[in-house]
Amino acid sequence: MDFSSTVASQLNAGVILPEGLVIITLMVVLVGDIILGRNASRQLSYVAIAGLLGSVVALYFQWDNSQTIGFLGGFNGDNLSIVFRGTIVLSTAFTILMSIRYIQQSGTALAEFVSILLTATLGAMFLCGANDLVMIFLSLETLSISSYLLTGYTKRDPRSNEAALKYLLIGAASSAIFLYGVSLLYGLSGGEIRLDAIAAQLTDLSSGQSLGVAIALVFAIAGIAFKISAVPFHQWTPDVYEGSPTPVVAFLSVGSKAAGFALAIRLLVTVFGQVTPEWQFIFTALAVLSMILGNVVALAQTSMKRMLAYSSIAQAGFVMIGLVAGSDDGYASMVFYLFIYLFMNLGAFTCVILFSLRTGTDQIAEYSGLYQKDPLLTLALSICLLSLGGIPPLAGFFGKIYLFWVGWQAGLYGLVLLGLVTSVVSIYYYIRVVKMMVVKEPHEMSDTVKNYPPIRWNLPGMRPLQVGLVLSLVATTLAGILSNPLFNLANSSISNSSVFQTASTPVILSESIINRQSLSE
Amino acid sequence: MLSAFILLPVLGAILISLVPNTNPNQNRPRIIALLFGGVILLWNVILGFQFDPSQTAMQFTEYIPWISWLGFNYHLGLDGLSLPLLFLNSFLTLIAIYSSNVNIQRPRFYYALILLLSTGVAGAFLAQDLLLFFLFYELEIIPLYFLIAIWGGGRRTYAAMKFLIYTALSGILVLAAFLGLVWFSGASTFDYEPLREQVIPLGIQLWLLAALLVGLLIKIPIFPFHTWLPDAHVEASTPVSVLLAGVLLKLGTYGLLRFGVGLFFEAWITLAPWLATLAAISALYGAFAAIAQQDMKKVVAYSSIAHMAYVLLAASASTPLALTAAMFQMISHGLISALLFLLVGVVYKKTGTRDVNVLRGLLNPEKGLPIIGSLMILGVMASAGIPGMVGFIAEFLVFRAAFPIFPLQTLVCLVGTGLTAVYFLLMINKVFFGRLTESLSQLPQVDWGDRIPAIILALFIVILGLQPSWMVRWSETDATALVVSPSLLSQVAQAPDQALSLGDELSMNVLPSRSGNN
Amino acid sequence: MELQLEYFLLLGAALFCIGIYGLVTSRNAVRVLMSVELLLNAVNLNLMGFSNFLDPVEIKGQVFTVFVITVAAAEAAVGLAIILAIYRNRDTIDMEQFNLLKW
Repeated sequence: MDFSSTVASQLNAGVILPEGLVIITLMVVLVGDIILGRNASRQLSYVAIAGLLGSVVALYFQWDNSQTIGFLGGFNGDNLSIVFRGTIVLSTAFTILMSIRYIQQSGTALAEFVSILLTATLGAMFLCGANDLVMIFLSLETLSISSYLLTGYTKRDPRSNEAALKYLLIGAASSAIFLYGVSLLYGLSGGEIRLDAIAAQLTDLSSGQSLGVAIALVFAIAGIAFKISAVPFHQWTPDVYEGSPTPVVAFLSVGSKAAGFALAIRLLVTVFGQVTPEWQFIFTALAVLSMILGNVVALAQTSMKRMLAYSSIAQAGFVMIGLVAGSDDGYASMVFYLFIYLFMNLGAFTCVILFSLRTGTDQIAEYSGLYQKDPLLTLALSICLLSLGGIPPLAGFFGKIYLFWVGWQAGLYGLVLLGLVTSVVSIYYYIRVVKMMVVKEPHEMSDTVKNYPPIRWNLPGMRPLQVGLVLSLVATTLAGILSNPLFNLANSSISNSSVFQTASTPVILSESIINRQSLSE
Repeated sequence: MLSAFILLPVLGAILISLVPNTNPNQNRPRIIALLFGGVILLWNVILGFQFDPSQTAMQFTEYIPWISWLGFNYHLGLDGLSLPLLFLNSFLTLIAIYSSNVNIQRPRFYYALILLLSTGVAGAFLAQDLLLFFLFYELEIIPLYFLIAIWGGGRRTYAAMKFLIYTALSGILVLAAFLGLVWFSGASTFDYEPLREQVIPLGIQLWLLAALLVGLLIKIPIFPFHTWLPDAHVEASTPVSVLLAGVLLKLGTYGLLRFGVGLFFEAWITLAPWLATLAAISALYGAFAAIAQQDMKKVVAYSSIAHMAYVLLAASASTPLALTAAMFQMISHGLISALLFLLVGVVYKKTGTRDVNVLRGLLNPEKGLPIIGSLMILGVMASAGIPGMVGFIAEFLVFRAAFPIFPLQTLVCLVGTGLTAVYFLLMINKVFFGRLTESLSQLPQVDWGDRIPAIILALFIVILGLQPSWMVRWSETDATALVVSPSLLSQVAQAPDQALSLGDELSMNVLPSRSGNN
Repeated sequence: MELQLEYFLLLGAALFCIGIYGLVTSRNAVRVLMSVELLLNAVNLNLMGFSNFLDPVEIKGQVFTVFVITVAAAEAAVGLAIILAIYRNRDTIDMEQFNLLKW
């Protein structure tokens, strides 16, 4: 038999074509930066965006692919992973749009920033499709280590340093704890690293094993909860959000979080299917704490970035309702919400970046009276924040309705009611900012706004920011009204994904064993 | 056809916000808003003529599937319950736009918001899908928040925030009830009509209805959920007050009829005595609180609470007659409170105060505000239920329908009506009669522009008072359809007279035979 | 006496606990980083033990360990770089001094 063709079909390397494109882009940016020097860095970031869009196209063509397992079970490019990878790639593209001006103004190298960001994207994308423990660990660390670097990117700013250090130490510790849980899984399954194989080994638990599984579960959840910044694993979030460069925060709040949720779905549903009530209980607790603490503490914030940090904690709490619901619809609602969250949160961050570029501050009080000087910014930020607060007919409203409805169907009445109540609280702090911008009289205008520079979009790097702003504004406004296709997309991404079938049927599992045997022969 | 009520105002709002800021002609936003308001009102009148009041089914329905998986559809329909309220909305929106200050700050934003508000309210009245109703119910919050927070009085931010929190809370309770209803009934859609056939155990129905009720009672508002209303009214500018009292409160009572009675009839009957008692308490509370007020606007605001309680009383009686009465009372209150707020607004504009202890003798024909004063007296009489005006018919119908079922509560409410006369006469007496004080004697002339909307409203009040069947005939059939559900006919049979055609009975104009007031 | 899997696991768990203790009590950022390394080494011990006893043919655990060591090196490099940067800016690596950001 022709060896190479066997290996090729075994590897099925085509499933990581989107990642391949990102890698090539990364190489082009790196090498291009070395060859062309600093002057070309802006063009290189456009190249990066083009590469990312190419990756989205590749993802599109892989939709409903029948051969989703690649690399001998190491990677699973099913529809679920495609949706999450798409979300991550888009969030990176948006992040690059908003970072060009920001990074240049901060006096650091843009192309390097883009390279690190692309690496983080790569880690996040692989994490969404990772199907064995080594793969999960490696992609998780690729994402994490690049995130630490991004957080500390403005290295002359002590706040950025401090944020990076805190993020690094807490992150490294949590990934070590996660890894300890993973090592227990390896042992408990009798030496398996593929998720479905582990699940098959864990079907009938003896008492000693079930204790081991419980410990593994808790440790694994600690790692996941850190990534999605669920209370009580959220301590890093406000500090990192406040200290690090704002585009990085935007990426962390969407891209990194989406990857965390993808990991959560895959790991919990596949491996811990036997202890579903247990992990659902833990996540109920996490969701309750996140919604309450995130929303309540956000009320007291004076810095825009810190407020958005707590708001993102609270939003993670809402998304967890879908996870706890544990049904296909529940996961679909998570996918849908994260996709919508991408636009509204990145839109809000674009506005924050724009404001801080023009004025150099992030304090909420400094926004007062902004409507007179910058109507577009005011409109965009208002729409994005109101959408985050779930005001109809904006996108966030539909996302929340879907989540709550799914939770309600799953019988999580308490959780849904808590979600409803805390979303009223969230309206309060979102509208506080809107009030600051829109309601204040001209004479109440803050000094910063009084000295607001004239709006000039033709400065270098401002155009992409404007494009990002308008795109996210349009998406936030229309995604709700035109949400039916998105709903269907989210639903079919779940219903056609092999995760949820392998958890119940061992068919693919036995195939994979055969595959492995044929390889070892 | 019905989508025009939703799309036209949005279109208007967009157009207005596109008017260049630098334009020296500050009136352009106002003109556009007036134009759109007029077109909407005209469209409403045309629809009214094409509307067939004898049909119980929804008319002019529009149906577009929106989110198929959720069973959420863009489904609009018009029936006898929504048509009068829709008309009230279009009419008062136009009046509010017209009576807005011509030199208002930030006119583009202001008129755009008023039009958006009109969208939200119209959409809620037209929605035939529970989630769609909720969507519009929430949609109206933000424009109103800004309208109070930007163009309000001294404590406007506080009042606006209070309004926002209360209404948002009300919204989520309504949503929770809707989600629960659809889930427990096992329906696959949020569509209104199929859900009317639901069979849910009474225990669960009661819980769902309780959530819905608390949500809607906040909106109406009924004591003890009312505290946001006086603040909102006092701080809001006159046109916003007109809209708030005239239309927005009706969202709550409309929700009661449409969803409370329509969807949870069995539970509704169970809770009805409590609701009637609550209504009686609220009516008394509103009346007594109104007596104690020094601010004219607060008097009217508290009288609003008292009068909206009658709607709850009638709704809790839930016979066809009572529901027609509830509809009538809504319209009547919408017109009367709009008139009163307009007039208080004029008084405030001309004198700079609303304090009843400062104002004196404004009826003075030479230097006072005689026409405004006369209209005020007319409005007050209508509100107190003097025959010949719309308030009398409405209250008479309410008490007539509720008395056989809840005699005690109705009697308490009758006392409340009596108190209406007391507090309004106190106010009128202080403000309009007596000697005009020196400080008030140099009042600027009231131009006709300020009088016209009030005069039109007064005309409506008198006409509907003399010809109530013009109003009743719209909602009668549908009010009957709302309660007559086959299994519950026995309940309905309690009130013997509802089979009669109310329109005929009323056009004979029942002479006043009311007890215990005036 | 035969070497049993439990011994490896116990050693791993002990190392893990020491690491956690160090993580919580250390004030010096480098010491915190070292504690994280201890945690990772505990994981390595676990993996090696399991690999030897349960998976002696494909030795996936040992392969995993190689990856963990590699990643730990990368993490340490990044961590030290960040500590170096913060030392240049602040002249200290005492964790308690890092209070520019607080909730």
